[in-house]
Amino acid sequence: MADGVTLKPLSLKRDGDGLTIHWADGVVSHLPFRLLRKQCPCATCNEERQKPPDPFRIITDKDILAASPQPKQMIPRGHYAYQIVWNDGHDTGIYTLEYLRKLGEPA
Amino acid sequence: MESGSTANPALAGVRNIIAVASGKGGVGKSTVAANLAIALQMHGQKVGLMDADIYGPSVPMMMGVGPVDPQIANFPIEKYDLKLMSLGFLPDATKGVLLRGPMVGKWVTTFLTQINWGDLDFLVIDMPPGTGDAQLTLCQVANVTGAVIVTTPQDVSLLDAVKALNMFNQLRTPVLGVIENMSYFVGDDGKRYEIFRHGGGKRLAAEANVAFLGEVPIDPRVAECGDAGEPMIRRHTESPAAKAYLALAGAVMDAAANAKTDALPEVVL
Repeated sequence: MADGVTLKPLSLKRDGDGLTIHWADGVVSHLPFRLLRKQCPCATCNEERQKPPDPFRIITDKDILAASPQPKQMIPRGHYAYQIVWNDGHDTGIYTLEYLRKLGEPA
Repeated sequence: MESGSTANPALAGVRNIIAVASGKGGVGKSTVAANLAIALQMHGQKVGLMDADIYGPSVPMMMGVGPVDPQIANFPIEKYDLKLMSLGFLPDATKGVLLRGPMVGKWVTTFLTQINWGDLDFLVIDMPPGTGDAQLTLCQVANVTGAVIVTTPQDVSLLDAVKALNMFNQLRTPVLGVIENMSYFVGDDGKRYEIFRHGGGKRLAAEANVAFLGEVPIDPRVAECGDAGEPMIRRHTESPAAKAYLALAGAVMDAAANAKTDALPEVVL
């Protein structure tokens, strides 16, 4: 994996239901919005992911919206990250370049 | 080099943003920031000084500006041709501020987005010690040109300076170099006394592979002038410490000009 200091995105574009990132070292990452939303790195989502699934969960309007997540805005944060504002209003995730690159690599 | 983000009009006219940081408290960040700001000005630059130390602001006392009436004052406050902003200018803040971390971030964001900094060559930011809310917010809200790390020569100070270095690497903020403060003291006998040991700053710079920007000697007049509200470099221009600051400012200007600070590309959605 490329180290954080040399990692450099050349362009980030919507491509259908996802985001395509062209990196300076020639690598192209395609990140479905669904994956980006599911792997949101904010503290709340990190905690949610660690909980066991709740069988009695009531699905809210917000959840229905989040099922087809669309970013409304993706704001550069300093030199190291992007903040994504989602269509359901969630906006606390700061995606570092390393994280975006990692999400695009095959598991 | 444009470091002010286009999305943030408050910093649009600011060409270089320099964070003066350290891991450890008490190494003289505020003193270095204040004197560096004046030294940059002596090199013909237009300079602002922002106090990001929300809990313990020092800029008001060091620059001899007391609390002002926020209803009628124009921020940033101007003194010695510097543009200044600090939470210490607000009368309520002089009694002390009791805030949780997220509020620190809010104040730093306010200073960076709501204050009309105008046209500046350098905005020097006096950071609080540590690697916390103020540092993270700064590196998220502004495109910082580079950070200078202040340390004193002994190992205990270096221990935390390394953490500050690592933080800026993680946030992909260039580190322009290391400044060693309180390096030595020259007595009346002309002898050099190394009160806090020797060479720590140089060693740190070499280990971290960043530039060593210079050393500033201990001079009792530094503290005296800081308390009196006029940075030492203005009053004792010929002192060794003042000369050290002038050299330092030159080094910072060169380093800032060479820093790679490409802004991240905008996302096309």
